[in-house]
Amino acid sequence: MRGGYRAIERGTLATLLVLICLLCGWPLIALLRLGALPDVEAVSPLQAILDTLSGRSVQRALWHSLHSASLAALIATLLGSVLALTMTLARVRARAVLVFLLLLPMMIPPHVTAIAWTQALGPSSSLLGWLGLAPPPGSPNPVQTPAGLVALLALQHLPVALLLVQTTLRGLPADLIDAARMAGAGQALLLRRILLPLLLPALIAATTLSFIAALGNFGINALIGIPARYTTLPVLIWQRLSSFGPGVLGEIATLAAILALLALVMVLLSWWLLARARRSVPASGGTLGDRVRSEGGASTAAERVLWSFVLATLGFPLLSLLAGSLVPTYGVALDASTVTLRHYVEVFGQSVTLRAFGNSAFAAGLAAALIALVSIPLAHYINSGDARVRRLASFAAVQADLAYAVPGLVMSVAFILVFLEPLPLVQVSLYGTLTLIILAYLAVFLAVGLKPVASAAGQLDTTLDEAARLNGAGFLRRMARVHAPLLLPAALSGAVLVFLTAYNEITVSALLWSSGNETIGSVIFNYEDGGYTTLAAAMAVLTVLASVALMLALSRFARRLPAGVVPWS
Amino acid sequence: MVTSPSRSGPATPAASRTRAAAPRLTGLALALLPASALLAAPSGPLVLYTSQPNADAQATVDAFEALHPEVEVEWFRDGTTKVMAKLRAEIVAGDPRPDVLLIADSVTMESLERDGHLQAHPDADTDVYDPALMDEEHHWFSTKLITTGIVYNTAAPMVPESWTDLLKPEASGQIAMPSPLTSGAATIHMATLTGSEALGWGYYEGLAEQRALAQGGNGGTYKAVAGGEKLYGFVVDFLPIRSMADGAPVAFVFPTEGVSAVTEPVAILSTAGNPEAARAFVDFLISADGQQLAADMGYLPAHPDIAPPPGFPARDEITLMPFDPARALEQERDDKERFIELFGG
Repeated sequence: MRGGYRAIERGTLATLLVLICLLCGWPLIALLRLGALPDVEAVSPLQAILDTLSGRSVQRALWHSLHSASLAALIATLLGSVLALTMTLARVRARAVLVFLLLLPMMIPPHVTAIAWTQALGPSSSLLGWLGLAPPPGSPNPVQTPAGLVALLALQHLPVALLLVQTTLRGLPADLIDAARMAGAGQALLLRRILLPLLLPALIAATTLSFIAALGNFGINALIGIPARYTTLPVLIWQRLSSFGPGVLGEIATLAAILALLALVMVLLSWWLLARARRSVPASGGTLGDRVRSEGGASTAAERVLWSFVLATLGFPLLSLLAGSLVPTYGVALDASTVTLRHYVEVFGQSVTLRAFGNSAFAAGLAAALIALVSIPLAHYINSGDARVRRLASFAAVQADLAYAVPGLVMSVAFILVFLEPLPLVQVSLYGTLTLIILAYLAVFLAVGLKPVASAAGQLDTTLDEAARLNGAGFLRRMARVHAPLLLPAALSGAVLVFLTAYNEITVSALLWSSGNETIGSVIFNYEDGGYTTLAAAMAVLTVLASVALMLALSRFARRLPAGVVPWS
Repeated sequence: MVTSPSRSGPATPAASRTRAAAPRLTGLALALLPASALLAAPSGPLVLYTSQPNADAQATVDAFEALHPEVEVEWFRDGTTKVMAKLRAEIVAGDPRPDVLLIADSVTMESLERDGHLQAHPDADTDVYDPALMDEEHHWFSTKLITTGIVYNTAAPMVPESWTDLLKPEASGQIAMPSPLTSGAATIHMATLTGSEALGWGYYEGLAEQRALAQGGNGGTYKAVAGGEKLYGFVVDFLPIRSMADGAPVAFVFPTEGVSAVTEPVAILSTAGNPEAARAFVDFLISADGQQLAADMGYLPAHPDIAPPPGFPARDEITLMPFDPARALEQERDDKERFIELFGG
C-alpha cells in the first residue's frame, strides 16, 4: 500500500513538473532559441541579434526603452522611498486607508492609467476646465510627450517600490532609531547614516523591479508612446506583428528575445539583491512595524503631503476618467446639460463588450481556480522534507517566477511560437483561441497564485503531515483532508490576486486576442486606439470599480493569511 | 518603423500551381453540368473572408441569405492585414478556403489580381457606377466610400476649404494625420494626393514644414483634434460626422479639390469552390438593395442614386480625386520610404 501512495505522490509531482516546464519554461526557451537562431543559415546566435540590432528603428526603440524604463525606475524608487519613510516614521491617521490608496495603482491596468491621464491634462479636460486651468485649444497634451511617458511609468510602478522599501523598513529594529535619536542624531543624519545603508539592498531591488515592469509595460508605452512619437520595444513588436501577421515571427522572436534577455538579467540581479536584503538586522525589542501599528496621534504636515499625493496622482486622473465617460462624445466639457449615461448603456448593449466581459471573467476565473488547485500540492513539495523533491519543485517554481518576470508581451510571442503549428495528434492549432489565452494566463500568473500558498505551507507544522501519513492516509487523502483545508485561505487569496491581475490585463492578450476572443483589456485598448474614447472610459471605470471591490473583499480576509499576502492590508 | 510591402510579395510556386489548376477544374465542372443548372438559383456553402466590423458583416450576411435562402454563408472576420495574412498562408499551403473576399482597399485587391488569385465576373452590372470605382476587367468591385477629408476643431481660427489651406501659417504646428505605416486609408490618401498634379509630393513636403504630426491611426488623429490638442487633421469621414451629431467640437470638410477614398471592394477568388454563389454575393452588394444596406449601416454608398446617411452631403456634391490602384501598388514602397524621410518613422 505505502508503495502505491508514494507512486501517486511522485506521479503528481512529475505531472506538475512536466506541465510547468511545458507552459512556463519551454515557450521561453523556444523563443530564445528562435530569436537567436531564426533560420538554419544563421551563422551564430549573436548574428541574428546583431543583425536585428543594426536596424535604425530597432536601435531607437531599444534606446527609448532603456531610457524611459531607467528614468521611471529611479523616480519610482525615489518617490516610493519618500512615501514609505513618511508612512513609517511619521504619525499618520487612517494609515490603512492611505496604504490601500497608495497601492491601488498597482491593480489599475496601465492602459487605463494612460487613458485617464490623457483626459486629465488635455485642453478638453473637464476638471481643468472647471478650475479655469485648461490649456487653450491647440496646446499639445503634456502627457503625450516622452516626459509624460516617463512620469506615467513611474507612477504606475511606484507601488512596487513603495511596498519593497516599506516591508524592509518595518522589519528594522525600533531600538535603532531610538538609540540614534538619543545620541542626538537629527532626521538628516538618521536617514543618511543609519536608514539608507540598511535600506540599500531594498532600494536597488526596487529600482530593478520597477525597471523590469516599466520595460515590459504595454498600455502606457502604446497609448502614450505612439502619439508622443516615442516608440519603445514592446510597441515595435506589437506594431510589426499586427501589420504583418505571424509570417514575420522570426524577426519578432529576435526582438522579443532581446527584451527577454534584458529582463532576465535584471530579474537575476534583483533576486540576488532581495536575498541579501532579507538578511535582516535582529530586532529583539520589536520592529518599526510593530511600533507603527500601536501608535496613535497625528502629524498634520506628513498627512497633508500624503493626502495631496493621493489626490493628485489617483483622485485627479480617476475623476477625469469618470468625467470622460459621462460626456456624450470626446471633446465636450462635462456639465449638468451634457452629462449622460449613454456609454454605460452601450457597454452593456454591445455584443463585443459583453463577450469581452464574459471571456475575461471566464479566462481569468478558470486560470485562478486551476492555479489555486495546483498550488496546494506544489507548495507541499516546495516545503518537502525530501531534498530531491524540494529541488524538483523549486525548479518548477523558478520557471513560474521567470514566466511572470519577463514582459507579458514576450511570453505571448513565445506562446504564438510554440502553439501556432497544429498540436500533434489532434491537428488543431490553438492560435487565435481563448484556450491559448487561458494557457498563457496559467503560465504567466502561476507565480502570483503560488507565492501566498508556498509561504503559508512553510508555516505549517510538518508533524501534521507526518501524523496523517503514519495513520495510513494516502497522498491524495492527506492533500484533501490536511493540506487543502489549512492552505485554503492562502490559495483563495492567491486565486483572487490572479483574477485581479488577469481579468483586465492587456500585455498578454494584446497579441493573443482575435475577433470572438476579445478580452476586457483588448476591447478597452481598441476602443481608445480607434477613437471611441468615451466607450473606453466607461469600460475602464467599470473595471476600476470591480477591482476596488475585489481588493476590499480581500482585505477583509487578510487577517487569516500570512503577513504580506495581501499587500494593501 | 521600417516596413516591407508584405502584401505585394512574389507568388510562390505553390500559389502558381493552384492558379494553373483552377481554370481547368472550373471548365471541367461547367462542361459536366446540364445547361439548366447554370440558370438555377445559387445554392450550397459560400465562404466569406471580410474586414467589415462584426455587426456589419453579420447584417450583410443576413440580408444576402434572406435573398438566397439556398446559400449558407460561413464567414471569418478580422482586420484587413490579418485577413490577408491568413489568406496568403492558405494560398501558400495550396488550400485557400474563401470564395469571396470583402476587404478595405483596392490596392490589396490589385496585388491579388496581379498574382492571378482573382476571377473576373464579366456580367456584373456596374453601369451606374463611376468607372473609377470598379476594376476595368471586373475583378473587383467597390461597395462603399470611406473618404478622407479635413477635420477641424471648432475653436480653430481658420476654417479650411481646400487641402492647401493647411499650408497657411494659422495651421502651423496644428496638424495631425494618421501614418500610412499604420493605416491603410492613410496609405491610399498619400498615394491619391501625391499622385495629383496640383498637389503632388510638394504638398506633403509643405505639411512636413508645417510640423504635421503623423503617428498612429485615424482614431488617434480624431482624438487629437476633438480633444483640442491639434486644430486640424486628415481623418476618415465617419468618425467626425457621427460625433458631430453628439455635439463634438469638430467639423468635417470635403475639400474643394476632392477627397480620397477607401472603397471596401469585393472580389471572387480564382479558386472559389462555389463561384455561382460568389457571383450572386457580388451582384447583391452592388445592387440598389445592397447599397441601401451600406447606407443604413452609416456609410457613404458607392451607388450614385442611393441617399447617403444623415450628416453626409449628397453623393453628387462629393468629388473623388483620381486614384490609380495599380500605380499605388507599384509605388507603395517608395512612397512609404519618402514619407518616413519627411515625417519620421
